[in-house]
Amino acid sequence: MTDPKPSTNDILSKIRAKNAAAATPAESAPADSPSPVEPQTPAAPAAAPKGTSDILAAARAAAKPADAPKGTADILASIKKPAAAAPAAGGAAPKSPADIMAAIRAKAGTAPAAEAGAAAPVKAAPAAEKVAAAVTPGMSAAEMIRAARSASDGVPTPPKVALPSKPLAGKAPAVASKAAAADVTRRSALGDVVALLLSPVVIAWGAFLTSLTASGLAVARFMMPNVLVEPPTKFKIGPPNDYAPGTVSTKWQAQFNVWVVNGEVDGAQMIYALSTVCTHLGCTPNWLEGEQKFKCPCHGSGFYKNGVNFEGPAPRPLERVGIRLAEDGMLEVDKSVKFQKELGQWSNPSCFVGVA
Amino acid sequence: MLNSHPDLTPSVLIGLGWFYLLVFLMNLLWTVRSYKHEGEFKNGVPKASIWAVYSSILMMLSFYHFTYPVEGFLVSMPSGFKDVFDAWFSNPVLFFFLSIAGLVFMIQAREWWIKPTVSWVLLNLSLIFMGLSLTDYDFRQIVGKPDNVPIVAMLFIVAFFTWIYFTRAVDNDRRITQGRPLFEQENNDKVLVWPDLVYTELICMVVLTAVLIFWGIALKAPLEEPGSSVKTPNPSKAPWYFLGLQEMLVYFDPWLAGVVLPSIILGGLMAVPYIDFNKLGNGYYTFKQRSFAVTTFLFGFLPLWVALIVLGTFLRGPNWNFFGIYEYWDVHKVEAANNVNLSEFFWNGLGLGIPKGSTVSQILLRESPGILLTLGYFALLPPILGLTVLRKYFVRMGVMRFLVFSNLILWMAILPIKMLLRWAFALKYIVGIPEYFFNI
Repeated sequence: MTDPKPSTNDILSKIRAKNAAAATPAESAPADSPSPVEPQTPAAPAAAPKGTSDILAAARAAAKPADAPKGTADILASIKKPAAAAPAAGGAAPKSPADIMAAIRAKAGTAPAAEAGAAAPVKAAPAAEKVAAAVTPGMSAAEMIRAARSASDGVPTPPKVALPSKPLAGKAPAVASKAAAADVTRRSALGDVVALLLSPVVIAWGAFLTSLTASGLAVARFMMPNVLVEPPTKFKIGPPNDYAPGTVSTKWQAQFNVWVVNGEVDGAQMIYALSTVCTHLGCTPNWLEGEQKFKCPCHGSGFYKNGVNFEGPAPRPLERVGIRLAEDGMLEVDKSVKFQKELGQWSNPSCFVGVA
Repeated sequence: MLNSHPDLTPSVLIGLGWFYLLVFLMNLLWTVRSYKHEGEFKNGVPKASIWAVYSSILMMLSFYHFTYPVEGFLVSMPSGFKDVFDAWFSNPVLFFFLSIAGLVFMIQAREWWIKPTVSWVLLNLSLIFMGLSLTDYDFRQIVGKPDNVPIVAMLFIVAFFTWIYFTRAVDNDRRITQGRPLFEQENNDKVLVWPDLVYTELICMVVLTAVLIFWGIALKAPLEEPGSSVKTPNPSKAPWYFLGLQEMLVYFDPWLAGVVLPSIILGGLMAVPYIDFNKLGNGYYTFKQRSFAVTTFLFGFLPLWVALIVLGTFLRGPNWNFFGIYEYWDVHKVEAANNVNLSEFFWNGLGLGIPKGSTVSQILLRESPGILLTLGYFALLPPILGLTVLRKYFVRMGVMRFLVFSNLILWMAILPIKMLLRWAFALKYIVGIPEYFFNI
């Protein structure tokens, strides 16, 4: 500890030194010793800088008073450095915005790091080590930034530092850096899945599909109402002699959608019930007494009294519904069954009641 | 005795008074225009004098309506004319043929009727015809219904835009034959989006909003009794823009007229840019350079869409029967119609009797004439047309495009063909298989 208050420059120069050491694996890391390491005099300049971070560290090294600032980035960096005594300008200018960012981040962590270093120099060292361990050649700029930030943030709060630094303890920096790299990939694999699941687009679509499913189920529920308010499909319409021969009764049209006809079909007098649904498009035709026909108001389809279509576009005769003479002598209509003439169903005795 | 169907009431007379006042003002402006531009007759009398006399008659007519009591009113449509007109117009065949003839006339005589004076006279004739007809109770019931106001407006708007098209097209055709630059090139006075276009749009927006508000307040929504599944209004009409389709439903099976034909109309309109190989007429009005395209479009739009809307609105009454425009909508009007399928015509015509039975092969045998006819129509006609009448188009289009094109034309033609067959032979369906809901 040459300097009781290590500045960013000191820390960074240590990082630099460490990286230089990592290039020669034989050298043991200061992290091995629990006691505060005697500062290894920065011998780094001798070693050739490996990456941008090295260059940056070199640039920031306070011990290395530098030449005149070469670029605006350098000048900016030096201005931003209040703690540094001497505006240090590296031999090489920072190469990319990521580098500049890393530098700024490192500096931002300076104040607490410096204080911590003053109070307990022990702590400053692990932080520097961690950065050194994390910042290895070949890492991306983003990873470097992350590493630098976690290290500098971690300093004032020991518990935080303890966790990530544990795996480093007792290990060579090279190994530690490898472990750190593995840690990064594992975390990113898990994190990718979590991030994907929590991404706005997944949440939005998930919510949308959930609500869609819920409303679909609600609609399906509507198909099965608790109470069905509609007329019964089976009902009594009075005795046969209510329906005089040759007449069409429309008195059940409004309530039950049927006409009751007492007419002659193929020589036999019978009572049958016709559905009031036009076979063209489902309008309700009107019974025209004067013309003795059912006439649809929508497209002009016409039906004879027996239900057979004869004019307009209706393709087939009106449908008959079931009718029978109940045990009590009343006619009973059953609308749940249909009888279609074109399918030859009108000969079925369930769709007419013969009268004498 | 109280007349339950009064031809004339004071409110009708007042309304007609305003109507004639409007026509008078229009003609007053026209008189001024005529005086400035149309010169004189040989004897030195300005041609505008005729319009001046006509305008003054209209003005007197307007005041006559405002002041005269209902009894003994003189100006109304002569009943003899009404009877003749009813006899004509309660006939769908004549109506349809007149609309076709009108289209042919419109195209053939386009150089005549687009002249300002001629078209102004035509407009005046239609307005006077409408004014006189409005004195008739039954006509007023149909035309004056709030539902039908947009259709009356549509008639005039369609006529106006058709007039604009033909005026510009005839002008450009003349310029092309004379080797002069096109109207669009010569009068290419480009204007700026801001402020010219935006201001125009703003004014249109305000005027349209005002018209809609006035319309919404002045004309009551025609609300009827609550709906009931067992009571269908008589007549039951679709929204006015679908009345052409509803008319088609009279002649076709629901799935054909309600699903297949509309889909083909939409798909066919989308296919038009890919079918059209004529690069002329791009960005300017012309008839001669695009006569086939324009004629086809006008045929599909005017007789087959607009005229059918008019037919469905004004001429279809209770039970979907035909009524003349001055005819009382009698619910009990009897119209003899006994429609027969093609299979019945065919087998009975041969004296063989209709094949009975309901198995698939028996049904196919029964309907074989119609099926063969339909298949032949769609399979044989395209190549025949391509080798004869439409040879030029076949050569320019290639096989695939020509097949699409000719099939679309045939689908369009099937509408009037089926209508004619229904009217001429009371033919119901060419192929009628009600057992499987398949009718053509």
